[in-house]
Amino acid sequence: MSETEILETHLQELRRGTVVLACLRLLVNPGYGYGLLEELGQHGFATDANTLYPLLRRLEKQGFLTSEWNTDESRPRKFYRTSAAGSRLAASLTDDFRAIAAAIDDLPTPDVQPDRRH
Amino acid sequence: MTTATLTDRYVDAAMRTVPEAQRADLAAELRGSIDDQIEARLGEGEDQASAERAVLTDLGDPDKLAAGYTDRPLWLVGPRYFLDWWRLLKLLLWIVPACAAFGVSLAMVLEGATFGEIVGAVVPLLITVVVHIGFWTTLVFVVLERTGHETMTSGPWTPDQLPEPRQRGAGLGDMVTSLAFLAIFAGVVLWDHFVGLAPTQPGLPFLDPGLWPWWIIGLFLLMALEAVLAIVVYAVGRWTPALAVANGILNLVLAVPALWLLFEGRLINPEFFPTIVADDGAKVGVIVNVVIGFVIAGIAIWDTVDAAMKARRASRG
Repeated sequence: MSETEILETHLQELRRGTVVLACLRLLVNPGYGYGLLEELGQHGFATDANTLYPLLRRLEKQGFLTSEWNTDESRPRKFYRTSAAGSRLAASLTDDFRAIAAAIDDLPTPDVQPDRRH
Repeated sequence: MTTATLTDRYVDAAMRTVPEAQRADLAAELRGSIDDQIEARLGEGEDQASAERAVLTDLGDPDKLAAGYTDRPLWLVGPRYFLDWWRLLKLLLWIVPACAAFGVSLAMVLEGATFGEIVGAVVPLLITVVVHIGFWTTLVFVVLERTGHETMTSGPWTPDQLPEPRQRGAGLGDMVTSLAFLAIFAGVVLWDHFVGLAPTQPGLPFLDPGLWPWWIIGLFLLMALEAVLAIVVYAVGRWTPALAVANGILNLVLAVPALWLLFEGRLINPEFFPTIVADDGAKVGVIVNVVIGFVIAGIAIWDTVDAAMKARRASRG
């Protein structure tokens, strides 16, 4: 594995849980699959479609999202919205994320040497 | 157009493994999402065919997507069960094939099969047994993984489950055990000669009296060497490769003549079984001969392998 691939893997692991938080916060205003995908991208949470769709289903099954079909437009779409439990989860996740950010700031900073191999 | 589009085929493929109850809902949502994505690409000037292909390529294998929807594991035995599976498999592979091979070859020798026939039967048997153990053990764990049952040993791990440190086989206890065993064995041989193992009047020896004096003196000499070896291993504090080789040679020198005498009919007193078992003495004698042969060979092989493994562990550690 090259160094960039390793970096990519670490970043993915670090970001994994944040997509859930972003969905719960964004879906305070109802949204549907593709629209949410775009919105996540715009907010800096680039996500793959094949990750997002199963994730929405799982959050719905766990009761953090509610859903409703909207058939007003030509293409029927399933709209998701954050439930009361979802809002509570989003609040705890946000608190925890802030706590982690603060904890990281308290850590000693390693000296970043410029990579001489390039 | 009546032919199915790539999108139709993709949605069909993804829904194949989704439970019936969720299928219609999921299919409609998935199709809508794909159409949305294609539309976005068309808006950027792509043509329909390449846009559709690109969107479906991004979505990836439909079975994988379906597994994500239904929380189905994409592995045979996952991290939750892997260690239990691996431990059980190793345990069974240590025990079962050896027992099966031993049992079958013993039975075949008693039936008078030749060496070639036994090898011809045992080798395919071993392969069959190993394959069966691997298959059925894994199958059980695959089912457990998919039904979410706990395995028999599961439960939180505690430090009490740590394995005991490996025996080096060179402690005081090992030496005492070896010496005591040799002493008892020598005592039995002497008792057999002077008193007789069988409770008849006069006593009937189990070993052929013709072995006295020279064969028995040879036996005692080898046993004395075994005793010296046990003391040397204790003094050195571990099994070295040289000691393991010496042990193997001693076992060989002891087992080969013993087996030779056994099959020449000179090891066991020919009077012994006919006297003890009145009717079927000869038949019993043959069976006991074979069993004793297996025991002699088995002990020699086991003891040699055991010492070799201890020497290897000691040289590593």
